[in-house]
Amino acid sequence: MSDTTKAISELFSNRFGDRVVFRSLENGIASIDVEVDAWLEVCRALRDEEDFSYEQLTDLCGVDYLSYGQSEWETEDVSNEGFGRGVEGFGPGRFNWAERPEAVDVKQRFGIVVHLLSFRHNRRLRLRCYAPDEGMPIVPSLVEIWSSANWYERETFDLFGVVFEGHPDLRRILTDYGFTGHPFRKDFPLIGNVAVRYDSLKKRVVYEPVEIEPRVGVPRVLRDDSRYNTDELDQAADVAAEKEAAEAAPLDEQEN
Amino acid sequence: MGMNNPVPLDTVDDILRPSADANPLLDRGMVTTSLDALLNWARTGSMWPMTFGLACCAVEMMQAGAARYDLDRFGVIFRPSPRQSDVMIVAGTLTNKMAPAFRKVYDQMPNPKWVISMGSCANGGGYYHYAYSVTRGCDRVVPVDVYVPGCPPTAEALIYGILQLQAKVRRESTIAR
Repeated sequence: MSDTTKAISELFSNRFGDRVVFRSLENGIASIDVEVDAWLEVCRALRDEEDFSYEQLTDLCGVDYLSYGQSEWETEDVSNEGFGRGVEGFGPGRFNWAERPEAVDVKQRFGIVVHLLSFRHNRRLRLRCYAPDEGMPIVPSLVEIWSSANWYERETFDLFGVVFEGHPDLRRILTDYGFTGHPFRKDFPLIGNVAVRYDSLKKRVVYEPVEIEPRVGVPRVLRDDSRYNTDELDQAADVAAEKEAAEAAPLDEQEN
Repeated sequence: MGMNNPVPLDTVDDILRPSADANPLLDRGMVTTSLDALLNWARTGSMWPMTFGLACCAVEMMQAGAARYDLDRFGVIFRPSPRQSDVMIVAGTLTNKMAPAFRKVYDQMPNPKWVISMGSCANGGGYYHYAYSVTRGCDRVVPVDVYVPGCPPTAEALIYGILQLQAKVRRESTIAR
């Protein structure tokens, strides 16, 4: 731990003690985890106190840690069909709405990440807290501290289903009117559950269950293409061509 | 690079009926045509599109309308109202949330009306075909006359699409059925 990192780490630990955990200092931005019970208290201190004075909240978003760290991408084993990615099984987004898997019990499934900016110190800070209950994730709202959190929290509620306690107007902001589910959750099917089309009899756009199957894109790794002839016939042609070239080569040398 | 006005294609553009060399009346200072030819000449010469830019395709559409390609040369003038429009250029990703509004705007356009679907997203969902929020093609919502492929299509491609639509309109007959 370098001196700068240590100094910044101690700045937070001296002030907040056990309520925050210093994580890292990358690109000059410190990352700290905050206990959800101390979320409002710590944020208020970060805004108001001279040592911190983070006047502005520049970003707030959610993270779903379901299946975090479980890789479907076996990048060591590569064939010309692509990465050895298991196409069967339930990965994120790979199922119909009716067959969606039940969310397994993940400790600290939903995280809230906040980016703060201090003009006075020309310094940025990244905060993270975890919603305590996975079934009904509730986190205190930051709107009363930074008003710019308002639409960010609505967005996070819309996409992740995290409820912000004390938010003045917690409605959906991005998804369709009457949308069900929270599309950025890992157990939400990528393909969704409804599709629209115009019904010429009803004279309006109607919603219907989605009619296509979900698809997994398997990225291809091209180690061979048309320049590498593996076919036997092509090899024979290559041999003939090489022979021809070998015969022609001495002539070229003579000309040179 | 020489920028020229569009060269007249052939006799299809010529609205004289019968054609000029077979019409003795022309020598006497009179012009004859068919009403269909006249209507189509008027329609193709002033295809006013409803401005319906939804995504990055709209930038190419603006480029087609700007100084270099200058859609005004073709009589294409963007209108801010569906009531004044003949053609709708669906430029970009049509989402499920937008679809009812899109259909409403289409319904507000007076007949005859045409639709140009511009870009992969409008043609069939494109990159977002398997997404939860995107309509898989604007032809699920409105009838489409011309599909312009590309992601996004170049301004030239859009102009070609408009010229294709003009060619399509010229084949229509309103009076003689």
